[in-house]
Amino acid sequence: MPKTMTVIYSAFRMAMLHWMADPQWIIPNIIAPFIFTSVALTLFKDATGPFGLYAILGGGMMGMWGNTIYASGFAIDFERWQGTLEEVMAAPSKLIHVITGRAVSNALFGLTNMVAVLLIAVLGFRISLGIADPILFTVSLAFTLLSVSALGLIFASSFVLSRSAQALTNGLETPLYIVSGSMFPIALLPFWMHPIAYVLGPTWGIDAIRLATSQDYASQTFWKGMNANMAIFLDLAVMLSITFAYVVIAVVLFRLVERQARIKGTLVQQ
Amino acid sequence: MNHLRIFLSSAVFSFRAQFDWLNPAMWLTMKLVLSLSQMAFFVFVGLFIQGPSAIPFIAIGNALQSVSWNTVFSVINITGHDKWDGTLPLVLATPAPRLPLFIGRAMIHVLDGLLSVAIAFFFAAFVFGVNFGQANALALTLTVVMTAFAMSGFGLLIGGFCFHFRNPMVFANIFTFVLLIFCGVNFPVKDLPSQIQFVSYAFPLTYGTAAARSAIAGASIFEISPVLGQQLVVGLVSIMLGYLFFQTFERSARKSGKMEAL
Repeated sequence: MPKTMTVIYSAFRMAMLHWMADPQWIIPNIIAPFIFTSVALTLFKDATGPFGLYAILGGGMMGMWGNTIYASGFAIDFERWQGTLEEVMAAPSKLIHVITGRAVSNALFGLTNMVAVLLIAVLGFRISLGIADPILFTVSLAFTLLSVSALGLIFASSFVLSRSAQALTNGLETPLYIVSGSMFPIALLPFWMHPIAYVLGPTWGIDAIRLATSQDYASQTFWKGMNANMAIFLDLAVMLSITFAYVVIAVVLFRLVERQARIKGTLVQQ
Repeated sequence: MNHLRIFLSSAVFSFRAQFDWLNPAMWLTMKLVLSLSQMAFFVFVGLFIQGPSAIPFIAIGNALQSVSWNTVFSVINITGHDKWDGTLPLVLATPAPRLPLFIGRAMIHVLDGLLSVAIAFFFAAFVFGVNFGQANALALTLTVVMTAFAMSGFGLLIGGFCFHFRNPMVFANIFTFVLLIFCGVNFPVKDLPSQIQFVSYAFPLTYGTAAARSAIAGASIFEISPVLGQQLVVGLVSIMLGYLFFQTFERSARKSGKMEAL
């Protein structure tokens, strides 16, 4: 395995072990998406149309979002609290690779919320959700997970210097749910918000996931009226391009921020 | 006099303590962003499902619920910070009477909560177009003050309970968000399954949202007083139960020697 992958895998494994050792931390990360979805499902109760699709997939998506944003913000603080940040920084492996492993594991853990949402939808609200194309659904979900993780890297880099990371995380969570149109069509948002929605990879990811789930769903991005498979392909292509841009930005930011932290000596400042 | 001094210093210190990890600029940003974003999220969901008629109900509910970020989330987390920052043994070692010490720590959060609600009502009116033209300002103000006070009682109840656990943050999250389901914030309590509707009336916010909507529709203080009376009772009972949990914890901590690591 290439050295970079070894570092990413080790960080991924460590993050998984930390979650398993103290699983209660999953609750703050996914409670908001879970409750938001339950509220939406109650509002959807008497409605007809594609609302269940929006609520369930949106809720799952928000779980991934929430966990990644929260945990990315917390990643540096976690190392600070454990007293391991200096060692991580002093090690020859790059900080961004360590945080990448963490970000992927966090997004993956966020999927537990999707399972919880699905259970409450099926058992509590009697909503049935068949998946039209399971393969495209899985592919779309996996790529969206990567995109969310890459965005988490950008957040994590900016949180290296800030001790208000947790507060920022709390503040960013809901605006991102809104702008990415996780639970309603982005057409409802004011027009000036649309460009922001389109530079978020998960906006395209959730569109692809919805298209793969239901044949009745019409794309909410630029591919209205197009064949579903083609629309999914285009959604994923745009999302992967955006994800690549996130990674490039994160690499540059990590370099800058690491350098700044070393110069200012603010790395372990509480 | 001594009780009042302890009450006031406890109030001021518990509020100032949060700026150990949160700078004032960030505090203000959070205050503006949190209330607007949560309200906007549910307004858009309501707009999507039920159309524009859903907006006032959801915006008013979320405006009032914003008080719980201060009076529930922050108050519960005081317990956590006492444990993380190593100040819990000092709190328990002080000869100060416990009741003003315990209640005082929530009180500035009541004032902070009032500011949150004022900001949220501003957003409801000027961003989402909720009509306050018929509102009875006095009745609405009284409702907000009573709700902030009663919700801080609820925060103290859960905070007192959380002394018995290692990580109060988990409870702070659960009990702040669960209000969105049970308290008539985004939909009426009657829309909940009938078996669980009684749970709603254990939360002071449920009475607050009902009274606030009535006050905004023009109801007088006299008309909403029965609801506010019930809210006050729930708030006071919450404080007393929270204090009981705190005392139980203190006794058990002195016996077992376990304070932070439970």
